[in-house]
Amino acid sequence: MRNRIREQRRQRGLSQAELAASLGVSRQTVISIESGRYMPSLPLAFTIARFFDLTVDKMFDPDDEEAGA
Amino acid sequence: MMTFIPPRLRKPAVYVLAGLLFAAAWLVQGGHLWFVSIMAVIGTAAGAVRLYRLGGTDTDEGARAGSRTDERQQLVSLRSRALACNLAAATSFLGLTAAIAVKAAWGWPFLVTFLITGYGYLLGLGNYGVAEEGTPDDEDAGSQTRPSVSS
Repeated sequence: MRNRIREQRRQRGLSQAELAASLGVSRQTVISIESGRYMPSLPLAFTIARFFDLTVDKMFDPDDEEAGA
Repeated sequence: MMTFIPPRLRKPAVYVLAGLLFAAAWLVQGGHLWFVSIMAVIGTAAGAVRLYRLGGTDTDEGARAGSRTDERQQLVSLRSRALACNLAAATSFLGLTAAIAVKAAWGWPFLVTFLITGYGYLLGLGNYGVAEEGTPDDEDAGSQTRPSVSS
């Protein structure tokens, strides 16, 4: 599942560690989500989407199986 | 009880407890191998310090050692435990089968392990939701089949 986390994070000038701290997860988990190796739970997906002021379906694209942004 | 212990100290505390129990077992046993208990205490202390230091690192292993895992790390840990339990069940089944085949008396630990893993699996199914089917909504109560979802 493709997501726009890396793109959104870079637009806001955030490091992976800063985003992880804001979301309450580890830096390694942010890396895994960005690369598509880990699909976040629904609550975390909502937290991520709200953090970037986007909807979940704008943040995550289930139709695209290719990982990463 | 664990909530009173700071997260980073929890795993080392459990490790120390287990190590001291192991050392006490050697001490209670007595005999000429009593010194193994001293070695166990030294090994436990070294291991606990290593675990505490690992808990301060910015890695997945550090998060687990420091009891500050997030959902992905918990999932990885859960899968690893499930794999360990599967291996224990399979190994105990093979051991039990081999013991039966050669009419050996040493088969009972395999039987105990197999029964515990099997019971643990059933306990897990009961605790984590299989028994909670729930009641259907009024509109669903009459229907016997669920319409297929077109993709």
